[in-house]
Amino acid sequence: MKYIFSYTLLLLLSCSALYAQETPQDSLATYKKRVLETTEVDFLMSYYTQDGTHAAVTGGKGTEELTDITPTFVVAIPLNDDDVLTIDAGISAYTSASSSNIDPFDGDKPADPFVASSGASQSDVWANMNINYSHSSDDRNDVWAAHVNVASEYDYFSVGFGGSYTKLFNEKNTEIGVKANIFLDTWNPQYPIEFRDGFSRPDIVGTGAYANSFEKFANEGRNTYSLSLSFSQILSKNAQASIFLDLVKQDGLLSTPHQRVYFSDVADFFVQNFQLGDDVERLPNTRFKVPIGGRFNYYINESISLRTYYRYYFDDWGINSHTASIEVPIKFAEGKFTLYPTYRYYTQTAADYFAPFEAHVSTSEFYTSDYDLSKFDSHQYGAGFKYYDVFAKLKIFKFGLKTVDLRYNYYSRSDGLSANIISAGFKFVMD
Amino acid sequence: MNYKKILLIGFCIASLTSCVAVREYEKVNLNDPDMKLSANSIERFETNFQIYREAASGANGGKTGGGCGCN
Repeated sequence: MKYIFSYTLLLLLSCSALYAQETPQDSLATYKKRVLETTEVDFLMSYYTQDGTHAAVTGGKGTEELTDITPTFVVAIPLNDDDVLTIDAGISAYTSASSSNIDPFDGDKPADPFVASSGASQSDVWANMNINYSHSSDDRNDVWAAHVNVASEYDYFSVGFGGSYTKLFNEKNTEIGVKANIFLDTWNPQYPIEFRDGFSRPDIVGTGAYANSFEKFANEGRNTYSLSLSFSQILSKNAQASIFLDLVKQDGLLSTPHQRVYFSDVADFFVQNFQLGDDVERLPNTRFKVPIGGRFNYYINESISLRTYYRYYFDDWGINSHTASIEVPIKFAEGKFTLYPTYRYYTQTAADYFAPFEAHVSTSEFYTSDYDLSKFDSHQYGAGFKYYDVFAKLKIFKFGLKTVDLRYNYYSRSDGLSANIISAGFKFVMD
Repeated sequence: MNYKKILLIGFCIASLTSCVAVREYEKVNLNDPDMKLSANSIERFETNFQIYREAASGANGGKTGGGCGCN
C-alpha cells in the first residue's frame, strides 16, 4: 500500500511538471527556412570480412569465412520548402564459405565443412531500395513521413512500408516520435543438397541406409510488424539525451531453411569429410522482441564531445542482451578534421532452442545450432576519421564535397568469430 | 523487466520536459554534427552486420528484423 501511494504521488508530480512551465508562443516568422536547402548525395561503401569455426549451415561446426562489399547511394531531394524525397539504394555482393556448403559437392575439392565449395552457392548479391517522403509543418514542429522498401537476394524477397510522426515542442527542446513498419517477406528456400528430391550418392559411408527426418516448410512467408517510440530531450546547453522503445512481432518462417542440425540419437553418415544433415533448424513461427535503447551526448568543449549508447533487449525465445558503446569525437584544425575512437560491448544469453553441434535430440520440437543465437560476449574496437568542409569548396560537376568519413572496426566474439569492417562515406551537396 | 517500472521510468523521463528550455540562439554546441542523437550514416554497415551476427536488433534506427533473412 505504501509503494502504491509513493508511485502514484511520483506519477502525479511528473504529470504536473509537464504543464508547469509556460512556453512562449512561437511567432510565425515571415521567412520560413527550407527543411533541406539543396540536393545532397551520399556515397557510402563498406568492405567486410569475417571468419570463425561455428558455421550454422553445417550445424555449428565449419568455416564461417565471408567477404562482403556494399556500395550504397543516398540522394535527398528538396521538393519544396517543406518536403523532402530521399532515395536510398545499394547492393551487397558477398562470398561465403559456409553458404557454399549448402551444396558441398558442387566444387572441385573433397567436401569438408571447413573448406569452401567453389560451386554456385558460394556467392550472391543482395539489392535494396528504400524511398522515403517527409513533410514538415510551417513552424517545423510537426514532421510526417512515409516510406516503401524493396529488397531481393537469391533466396529472400522483401517488401516493406511504413510511416512516422514526430512532434517537437518546448521551443524544440523536446521531441517525441512514433514509427510503424511492416515487412512482408518471402523465402525462396535453398535446402541443403541432401534434403532435395533426387539426392543420391554411391559414396555415402555410415551404418545402414541414410535417412533423415526432413520435411519442407509449408509456409514460406515471413512477416515483421514493428512499432517504435522515441523521446529526445535537451538537458542543458551542452547535453541532450534520447530513449527508444521498439515493439516487434514476427510470424511465419523464422527458421533459416539452409542451416543444418545434427541429432545425437541418430546415426551419422558421411560423404568424403562431410557429415550429412539430420534436419534443418526448426524455430517457432512467432517471435516477440522488445529492445529499449538510449543515447546521451555531451559537448565537453570545442574540441571534444562524448557520444554514448545503451540498449537492453529481450524476446520470447529466451534471449536477453545488453549493448553499450562509447565514441569520443576529437576535433582539430578548427573543426575541419575529426578523429573518433569507438568501443562497443555486447553480451547475450542463448535462445531456449540453441544447442551446439550434435547436441540436439530428434524428439525435440524446436532446435538450432546457429551460434548467432548462442550465449556470447563481443567487443568491437575502432576508430574513424572525418574531413568536414562547410563551404564544400572541392567541386565535381555541380556537386561540392562536404564530408569525407573513413571508419575501421575490429569485432571479436567469445565463440571465436572475428570480423573486420572498413567503411567510407562521401557527402556531396549541389550548388 | 517489470513493466510497471518501465512505465514509471517513462513518466519520470517525460517530466524532464519541464526542466529546461534552451533558446535557439543558445544551441550552438547542441547543433554540432557530433551531438546529433542518431547514428552516423556511415555506421549503417556495422549495424547491418551486428543484426546478422547477434540476436538483438532495434532501438538504434536500424532494422528490427524484417527486410532480410537475419535474426
